[in-house]
Amino acid sequence: MAIKGNLANPRKFQKDQLKIYAVLIPITLIMVLPIVYIVNHAFKPLEELFAYPPKFFVTNPSFTNFFKLVSATASSTVPFSRYLFNSIFVTVCVLGFTLMFTTMAAFALSKMDFKGKKILSTMNDIGLYFVAIALQIPRYLIVDKLGMHDTYIAHILPIVVLPVGLLLLKQFVDGVPSALIEAAHIDGAGEFKTYTSIILPLVKPAMATVSILMFQEVWNNTETSSMYIDTDAFKTFAFYMQTLSSNTNSVAGQGLAAAATLIMFIPNVVLFITMQSRVMSTMATSGIK
Amino acid sequence: MKENKTLLKKVKSRMFGREANWYAYIFLLPWIIGIAFFVIRPLALAIYYSFCEVNITARGIVCEWIGFDNFQEIWVKDINFIEQELSFLIQVILQVPIIVIFALLAALLLNTNLKGKGIFRTIFFLPVIVVSGPIINELQGQGATSVASSDQMIVTQVISSFLPEWLVEPISGLFSQLILILWYSGIQIIMFLAILQKIDLNMIEAAKIDGATGWEIFWKITLPAIRSIILLNAVYTLVYLANSGTNGVINLISAAMLKATRGYGYASSMAWMHSLIVLVLLGLIFLMLKGKADAFLKKQKKIAKENKRRERQRRRWEADAKKRADA
Repeated sequence: MAIKGNLANPRKFQKDQLKIYAVLIPITLIMVLPIVYIVNHAFKPLEELFAYPPKFFVTNPSFTNFFKLVSATASSTVPFSRYLFNSIFVTVCVLGFTLMFTTMAAFALSKMDFKGKKILSTMNDIGLYFVAIALQIPRYLIVDKLGMHDTYIAHILPIVVLPVGLLLLKQFVDGVPSALIEAAHIDGAGEFKTYTSIILPLVKPAMATVSILMFQEVWNNTETSSMYIDTDAFKTFAFYMQTLSSNTNSVAGQGLAAAATLIMFIPNVVLFITMQSRVMSTMATSGIK
Repeated sequence: MKENKTLLKKVKSRMFGREANWYAYIFLLPWIIGIAFFVIRPLALAIYYSFCEVNITARGIVCEWIGFDNFQEIWVKDINFIEQELSFLIQVILQVPIIVIFALLAALLLNTNLKGKGIFRTIFFLPVIVVSGPIINELQGQGATSVASSDQMIVTQVISSFLPEWLVEPISGLFSQLILILWYSGIQIIMFLAILQKIDLNMIEAAKIDGATGWEIFWKITLPAIRSIILLNAVYTLVYLANSGTNGVINLISAAMLKATRGYGYASSMAWMHSLIVLVLLGLIFLMLKGKADAFLKKQKKIAKENKRRERQRRRWEADAKKRADA
């Protein structure tokens, strides 16, 4: 039935689409639940947070959690804005470098012919399958030995090359027809020109996907702050949020955690909604028939 | 001079493959450096540590080579590991197909020209950003990811009436985690949608003109066209499940890492074992989803073989008959 809709391309609402809505709307409701829950949870006053059985919707919404959060940050030595700046700076750097490096690598691995191609691909796959937690200690040693301890670089470099990103991007570059690249070569484009004016525009949707994934990884990352950074001024917002909710006593911490979760969550949603339209709109053009 | 140049070229091409591929290395360079320092080297160190007893002291890390003791302990003495690994296996077997098929169905539905499909699409992808990070733990802790418990009791009873004991719990657990499973499928839906939009509409139209129904079009055109993404999605789902923080094995590993009695060496050998199991599962997925492309050729080969065998047998019989006739 899906294909039928695709084929006939009805311009307006039709009766036979009702069955699709009948499936989609219930699932949509399920999908929306966590977001509704997060928002509700943040506005719950203390007694509702611990109500048993737990309630899904807030009955007496209040801003107490947020006020507490603000007063808690006011008493700390490093200003709130510093953490926020660190987070934004690190996230922007990681996203930029990752997209550049992984698209370049994906292009080379998928469309160029050279020795050691197989080994390099396998290397990426191994990196993908291995349990990331087990690499923490060796990674710490390497960061320490390279003298990156306690700098912004320690936030950025260890997570710039994400094997999942390369896997996704490579799959999409594989989908770009080789004829297009050949045509570009015949027209006199060098490898770099081909990369910037053919590969990059065509894999934009995949880049958007990877950047959404990457953003999650970086924005929510508390690991680099807790392991590689000692000075408070270099730590990220996510880490700060975590300490807030775990350091203060657990009962009051619940409320703070709920409010912090909402604050952490908002940039995710904003980025997601803006990126998502791009994912959809650039997807259709493959450029060759 | 000229000879020299061609010789140089020959050597170069022997070392680095076919022509013009300096560019490939230039493109790959930043990535290679990154992966060498932060993925490959830690991996190598983790292999080394898995054969050691690692003690973290004030002067740094002290390793004592103990050979295969860690591995032996994991398989022979540690009850938790095998138990968690088994439950992980069952989880993978049940959840990977569900997630991939659900994502495919959702993508097919979202690919139609609906009113408000933009909103639907956004909402379907939203869980991607919820599931990652600290939020999911809190949600799970509050029980927001499960269906109401009264239903679950009934489900469990129904299942246990016709299934063996050891399967009942994972399957009823599946029902209680149904919402969570649906949330895990955001990225998969995106990838399916991307590939679905690349399918040539002319082909579908041609099939339609030849009288194919929507059902036939799905099986004969859509499904073969998206096979590579099905494989990719299955792999992605497997890796995600294997590394997610909700996985018992991962918790076991990170707990062992900090325990004084176990230590990092033990944890890293456990991680290696886990990766090995994931790799085996991955191989299975590849076999299941990739091998089918050659099914037709295989059949042809089989038929040819069979024909040859029959031919040989016939000839033998003929020879026998001739011998008998001669006698």
